[in-house]
Order: sequence, then structure tokens, then C-alpha cells
Amino acid sequence: MPPDEGVDTMKLLNWTRRFSRRGFLSGGAATIAAVAATGGTVLADAQSPSDMPIDREGLRTLVKFTRDLFPHDRLEDDYYAAAIGSLKAEAEKDSATRKLLLGGISELNRLAMAAAGNPYADVADESVRAGVIKQIEGGAFFTKVYGDTIVGLYNNPNVWPKFGYEGPSSAKGGYLHRGFNDLDWL
Amino acid sequence: MPAKFDLNDSSVVVIIGSGAGGGTLANELAQKGISLVVLEAGKRIEISDFQNDEDAMFGLFTWLDPRSTSGSWYVAKTSPDLPVWICKLVGGTTVHWGACALRFQEHEFKTRTRYGAIAGANLLDWPIDLKEMEPYYDRAELKMGVTGTHGIPRLPASNHGKVLFAGAKKVGYTQFMTTNMAINSVPRDGRASCQQTGFCVQGCTFGAKWSTLYTEIPRAEATGKTEVRPESQVLHIEHDKSGKITGVVYADRTGAMQRQKARIVAVAGNAIESPRLLLNSSSSMFPQGLANSSGQVGKNYMRHMTSTVFAIFDKPVHMYRGTAQSGIVMDEARLDTKRGFVGGYQMELLPQGLPSFAQNIVPNAWGRDRASIIDNYVNVAGVWLIGEDLPRETNRITLHPSRKDHYGLPIPNVHSDDHPNDLAMQKHAFGQADALYKSIGAKRTVHRLPFPSTHNMGTNRMSEKPQDGVVNRWGQSHDIRNLFVSDGSQFTSSGGENPTLTIVALAIRQAEYIAGQMAKGAV
Repeated sequence: MPPDEGVDTMKLLNWTRRFSRRGFLSGGAATIAAVAATGGTVLADAQSPSDMPIDREGLRTLVKFTRDLFPHDRLEDDYYAAAIGSLKAEAEKDSATRKLLLGGISELNRLAMAAAGNPYADVADESVRAGVIKQIEGGAFFTKVYGDTIVGLYNNPNVWPKFGYEGPSSAKGGYLHRGFNDLDWL
Repeated sequence: MPAKFDLNDSSVVVIIGSGAGGGTLANELAQKGISLVVLEAGKRIEISDFQNDEDAMFGLFTWLDPRSTSGSWYVAKTSPDLPVWICKLVGGTTVHWGACALRFQEHEFKTRTRYGAIAGANLLDWPIDLKEMEPYYDRAELKMGVTGTHGIPRLPASNHGKVLFAGAKKVGYTQFMTTNMAINSVPRDGRASCQQTGFCVQGCTFGAKWSTLYTEIPRAEATGKTEVRPESQVLHIEHDKSGKITGVVYADRTGAMQRQKARIVAVAGNAIESPRLLLNSSSSMFPQGLANSSGQVGKNYMRHMTSTVFAIFDKPVHMYRGTAQSGIVMDEARLDTKRGFVGGYQMELLPQGLPSFAQNIVPNAWGRDRASIIDNYVNVAGVWLIGEDLPRETNRITLHPSRKDHYGLPIPNVHSDDHPNDLAMQKHAFGQADALYKSIGAKRTVHRLPFPSTHNMGTNRMSEKPQDGVVNRWGQSHDIRNLFVSDGSQFTSSGGENPTLTIVALAIRQAEYIAGQMAKGAV
């Protein structure tokens, strides 16, 4: 029997969305600038939570959370800031996404306060933050951030050299004369 | 010159799909002077549109129309919206394929006889055998320029291949080499030789890899006998009161419905869309769907036992450099039930670029352990384990009871449960691949369960008797003489080999039969 509709199956990637997000993925530097520029936003009293933009503290929490999901000491925060760029852009346009992210950030902070007496991004002990993540793993906020940032982080060509990946080769004549068979340790 | 045929021209052969089956059948028929129209659901792009970019090409050529999944198979959990990774463009999945071109083995055509009755499996012998297929395999290999056959030199070993071969040698395997590849090792047939770009499955930017997009299709058009209509998705196949096929209804690039009359229709839309089309073409005369008096349309879906082992070394491999799937170990492909399962498996190189590797290596996992695997990317080698899976009636393509596509037709649901034989083979394969890599110093291995299926077979299977399957030994419907199936859905068993060479060989053979039947006036 086909699965019930509306059942939210946990998935690694929303494969079918990858392609529409590509426009963002090539724009790492611009995204970092956009994230940095949101610091001075003033909130009006009348705004309901879902109308509020994600503020600087919220973005700092998302960056920390994304780093904790995919922790590479070789990568500076800029790369994680770039990886959350699509989430931020979506949240600016879509109130449901904004509400989901604000709620998730608030939950991370609440759990971190309970565990260590500090907001999530200010908890120094990585294992404590991992304990917080375990409590929200598989939920809507976790799944959304995971699915978007795993693409945003690793599909950023600026990240590739950090892992030794040389990427596209056709314009350079392939790897035929650039080491396809240079292995010498066997 | 491409031909131009009138919608009311009922003398043409209509081929649905332009991949390994449809594209080959088109050229073979056109070379015999037969007039035909190829209706392809996807767009037409050219080699100059290919990019060395995993994400961009995924978006450009993947069949992304909605599909649903069910069953216990891993893909239903990790990729429920995209159970299979096949392509929607002129050339079909031959633009994407890795180009391993292997023949089936003798016993794989006779599984019911050789394996016996197996509980929970719907085994059946093919109505044809290896001996009958050999001349067509020869012609397919020559057409495609398969390395290691007919004097065509093999490709050189890459770093990734050297690691596989060193491990194979160390554990006592003897049948390892750079694979029989439909990729030019030397310039041939008007196409360049392989430049080791590493992006075979994103579309070969040098055209060294055989694809119907730039071989069979333009050659068919050059005969003046072929019209290819891209962005033309067939929705129904129609018949007259006698049950004979009269033509097809398709949506053209504007979404407008068109009716193309036909003398013969050949369905080659891959093992998901082909049975879906037959089921969606049900009528008062054929309430179960076309060609389905056996009830087997959509059943016996096979996708191969597939899994991957990635091994981490302490020195660089750079697996992404060079021809992607060019190394193979064939020692486990034999039939040897002492291992605890019937059928066999191949061990084939499977490199991934950093983006795909990092996104897919451990689904749903996070944290330090997962990240440490990616930190070692340059030192990683990977081998794909692909083996025979058994046909089961319950593994099948059905029409979804409520979800519809943008034409208002039911989407296909892909159901699969692993057979215990598949799982026993998978366990064995993991153990052997671990031993291979650890024998030469791998620090760690990581097991990756299946990705979305690229090998899809069996859903309109070939049978001697009409009650056992959908098509006869020529891929011709048992029920309707002028309806043919020309893709991997006609496979009676999956074999342990990549299916494309067999699809091409069957299409060459089918073209001879169709031409003969037309000459005799039998269809």
C-alpha cells in the first residue's frame, strides 16, 4: 500500500528541492554580508513573534547550531553563516519558516539554560550542546535546518579546497595530466 | 535531415523514450528505412550544456515528477520522494550512466532452473539464453565502443582503481581490471577519448562516453526517417475495437494534447514509467491496463542489491579524479550457494565528489563522528556492491489511489521489500569489501545502504508463456501484436550486472524482429 499522505518521513535530503536552491548556493560571499547587515534591526512593539525578523543573536545561535551539526575545525564561522543564508532568505519571505526558526532558536536556548545556565550559543562545552541537540533531533526545526544547511555548507565551492577537493576539471583538460594516477604509496 | 510526420500518419512506428532502449531501437529501425517518431518527455540539450557540477546537473536532467514509495527498503526511508534516480531528457539515463558495459552470465538467464524454487520469489527463466544473445552483445559492444572487447584497449587505472586492485590482490581475488566501459579509451567513432574528468555521471563533457543523445539519435535523424519530439509526454496508448494499437495521446511542450497515429508502438520509458503508462492506458476492453492479461504489469520490480563501502586511509586517494566507475572486481559474481545466497555481485568503483559524499555519507547523522569522515575526504576510497536481486510479485509499481500528476494522472508508487536472499548477499558483500580495504591498511570502513535506484528492471517481464509475463522473447506484448516493450522493464531477472548493455543488445535484436514482421505484413 502507498504511504499515508502527510506523514512526515524523516529524510536525509529533500532531493527534489536541491535544484531550485542553486541560485543561492553560488552566492556565498553576498550571503555573509547580508547576515552581517541585519544586526541593527529595531523591533516594533506591535509585532507578533512570527512577524519578527531573526535578529543577530538568533543568527548567532543558528550558526553555532549548524557548526555543531557539521563540526569542522578547519572551517571558520563565515562558512556556516553562508550555509544558513538560504534559511534566512526563506524566513524573510515566509512567515511559517520564520516562526519555525524562531521557535527552534528559542527552544535551543531554553534547553541550554536548563542544562548549563546559558543561552545555546554561550554554552562553552560542546558535549552539553550535543545533549541539547539530542533532545530536538528529528523534530521539524532540526529537520529543516539540517536539510538546508547540509547542502548550503558542502555545496559551496569556497569550502571545497578546505577538504582538498579540486572540483570541476573539464576546463582544465580533466585530470588526465593532473594526477588521476599519481598514487605512489601502495 | 530530421523527418517531419503528420499526426495522422498511421504508417509510423512510435517509440516512447529515447534512452538506451528507445534511442537504440530508433537508430536500428531508421537504418533499415523504417519511418518513426520518437516521443521524449524531457528536453533536448547538448554536450555544451553539461557542467562539472553535481547539483546543477541533478537539477537539469533528473526525472523529478512526483513519485511515492512504500515497503521496508531503505530508500523509502531516506529518499521517499525520489525512489529512483533516472533522467528526463533526450538520451534518457544514458546521459547519466556510469558506462559499465557487462554481459549477463549464462545462469542469470535461467534463474528458475538454476536456483530452484525460492520462497517469496517469483523466479522465471528468460525465454532466451546467453548463446542467443551473444551476437547481439557483440553488436552492442561494437556500437558503443566497449573497452576490453573486440580489441578496444582498456582505460588506464586511476588512483582509486589502484587502491581497489591492490586490496583485491591482497585478499586473493584474481578477476580485477579496469571495467568494460562504453567510454572511448582512444578516439573512436567520431568521438574523443576519455580525459579522466571524473564527472561521468554529470554528462561527459568530452563526449567520450556513449550516450544515445549524441550517437544513436542524430544518426537516426540523419537517415531522414526519424522525427524526435522532445517535451512530449505520452499519457495514453489507444487501441481499436479489435484491440490493435492505433496511436498515442501525448502532452506537447505547450501542454496541449496531441494524438499521434501509429502502426506500432514501442514503450521505452524505464521500469517505472513504462508499466505506469500501460496501467494508465486501461480501457473497457483492457480494464487491468494494456498488455496485462497476466496481471504481471508493474510486478517483479528489481533494483539490484546495492550498497557501498567507503574506506578511510591515512594517505591520499583523490577518488574523484578520473573515470568514475572504471575499476571492477568480478570474483564474487559467480553462482556459489556455499556463500549462503543465490546469484552473485560485482564490486565496482564508486567515487563521489565532495558535495555528494558529504551530504550522503551517513544519512540523518550529525556531530563529530560524521564530520571526521568528511575531514578525511581526500583519503577515502569507495566501492559499490551491485548484485542480483530476486523478482517478487509484491515488489511493484502501482498507480497511487489518490495522488495525481500535473496532467491529472495517478502518480506511480514504488513498493519494495528486501528478500532475505538480498540481505544475505549484502552482508557477505560488506564483509568482503571490508576485508579488501583493511588488507591494505584502511583505518576504518563506512557502510552505506542504497542510494535512489539507477538500475530499474522487471516490471513488464519477458516470458515463454503468456500467463507468466507481459512480453514474449522479442519484447512483443503477448496480448497485442503491435505493442512492444524496449527497455529494462522486460528483464525476467536482474542479473548481477549493470543493465544497459543488455538493454541495448535487446533493442538491436528487437529491431530485426520488428523490421521482419513489418516486411511480412504481420504487424
